[in-house]
Amino acid sequence: MIVAQDLHKTYNHGSVFTHALKGVSFEVEHGEFVAIMGRSGSGKSTLLHLLGLLDVPTSGGIYIKDTDVLRLSEEEKARFRLEKLGYVFQEYSLLGELTVLENVCLPALGSMKRRDYRKRAMEMLEVVGLGQRIDHYPDEVSGGEQQRVAIARALINRPRILFADEPTASLDGVSARLVLDLFKKLNRELGQTIVMVTHEPEDEKYVDRTIWLKDGLVERESNAMLAGCAGSRIT
Amino acid sequence: MFVESLAGNMKVALFLAGKSIARGNKWALGLTIAVMSLSFVNLIFTSSILSGVTTTMDEQLVDTTLANIIISPAEDRYYMEKASQVEARIRQVEGVAGVAAHLNSSAFIEHEWKEKQRQTDRGSSGTWEVIGIDPIQEASVTVIHSSIIEGSYLSEHDRDEIVVGIEIAGGDGAQSSEFLTLGGVKVGDELRLTYPNGVQREYTVKGIFRAREIMRADHLAFVTRQEMASVLGRDIFFDRATEILVSTLPGADDGLLIEEFKAMGIAGEIRNWREYGGAMRGTIATFEIIASLIGAIGLVVAAIVMFIVIYIAVLNRRRQIGILRAIGIRKSNIIASYLMQALLYASSGIGLGWLVVNFLMQPYFAYHPLDLPMGLVSLNVQLSTIWNSVAGLIAAAVLAGLIPAAAIMKQGIVKTIWGV
Repeated sequence: MIVAQDLHKTYNHGSVFTHALKGVSFEVEHGEFVAIMGRSGSGKSTLLHLLGLLDVPTSGGIYIKDTDVLRLSEEEKARFRLEKLGYVFQEYSLLGELTVLENVCLPALGSMKRRDYRKRAMEMLEVVGLGQRIDHYPDEVSGGEQQRVAIARALINRPRILFADEPTASLDGVSARLVLDLFKKLNRELGQTIVMVTHEPEDEKYVDRTIWLKDGLVERESNAMLAGCAGSRIT
Repeated sequence: MFVESLAGNMKVALFLAGKSIARGNKWALGLTIAVMSLSFVNLIFTSSILSGVTTTMDEQLVDTTLANIIISPAEDRYYMEKASQVEARIRQVEGVAGVAAHLNSSAFIEHEWKEKQRQTDRGSSGTWEVIGIDPIQEASVTVIHSSIIEGSYLSEHDRDEIVVGIEIAGGDGAQSSEFLTLGGVKVGDELRLTYPNGVQREYTVKGIFRAREIMRADHLAFVTRQEMASVLGRDIFFDRATEILVSTLPGADDGLLIEEFKAMGIAGEIRNWREYGGAMRGTIATFEIIASLIGAIGLVVAAIVMFIVIYIAVLNRRRQIGILRAIGIRKSNIIASYLMQALLYASSGIGLGWLVVNFLMQPYFAYHPLDLPMGLVSLNVQLSTIWNSVAGLIAAAVLAGLIPAAAIMKQGIVKTIWGV
């Protein structure tokens, strides 16, 4: 489903070069729920940005369902993100001028008829448990609810992969559990492939597999099914 | 497929622009539209008032000095013969409102010459153009008769009377420096005129006029044509004319009338008043250039205001733009949404500005024209000025909408969202 090959990312701040990723390779299978963990500065968010086509690596390759996504043009990448990827950000990422329903509809506006995208947005909001809050504005709902709206928005085009960048970092414990339960449900019931960056060790229990990063390299991998045996999928 | 895609893109852009405007800060929206409308009004006002000045100058030239069509002697002659016959023939032509023959000369005019100590003293004197007119016919082609500010107009058989322009008479009402005038001639004063042929006549000032055409008309003096003929030589000059002025009815085509006069075999040079514009044309062209420059500055100011408004909006929504791009909204859709906002600001400003111009300024200046030395000036709003201003503001809006949004699109998504 996803193949990351020897990914390098170097940031250039004038004469200072920061090597955020130093050669990361791994694969994610269809229907997997994978967590990328590591300390602050380990390169996990950078890695997610590259996989989510928000940024380009300095070198290396990314293949998503056999598509060499780094060869796509800017326009093709935008279309790919719109149709095949969903992205949930760490902090609230809803548009304040739009209602909950309009926020969810936004990615589908250009490709569906009004009746269809509203119907699907309603379905997605039901899935995340916010079917009754459609006419509220983001600042009228809680942080956890905003994050669930963002998840509904990310899912409206039925993406192949859902990327989540520390989606619970800004949430209280209860809201965080709700979001993680929702991811688990989406993964188990709908077979949604999810790649989530997190720094909370307890989140590990929700995922199938965890890839640990340290200093821009894959340190180890733990598979929930194998109860902590490392390295099985690292290529 | 392409049309569907385009429609989809437009839908997204319209949606984003519409929501941004509908749920954005209403005060900021109102202020922006107000600034746009003021910019539009400024563009229209500046051009229209200067156009009003040039229109007034043109009208003054026609009404006081040239009329609509001027018939002058053929190149090889100084005078036109049988002027009364020519006048009569022209008067028959449809579209002609009035005809008046002039017998022009110049004269050295002196005031209070009797008080000179020596013959060589200059005293209050100067050389001006003196025109012999038929007072009744003249009233059908110029407004001199209605521009008398002191005394009265000439009568048909006046022989010892003269009417002088305010710039000859001098005094408080004159624009010229005192030494360039007779220094304050009053009605009833005596003037001595010495003509180029040596004939010297004394006249009583019957009237002083102020035609508000300071370039030429107010520097003229008028006597009757009979009097001028007697000065120049009655036997030869009684039916001669230096020029024949023709005024036309509103809506008449001067060009067609000129062609008709030529077809009738009227001898001489027949020209439209515009061909005599001379220095006035230059002045008007100067005004037009100034109007264009001021208009261009107004346009730049409007563009900068709009640019700042859009730029601040883009900066404030930088993270939001990044998120839109991250979820797959195309750059072109986002840019188009800002372009649409800019166009809405501009079109609303234009609409509001047009209402102000049409229902406030034009009626106001129609009833309260500016009283300038060259005459009463009101707004002359031309359709071309409106279209140019609309096109200019729309073009400014397009640039102001495109540039800031396009600039932020050049940054990467990660930098746009997180600023790193």
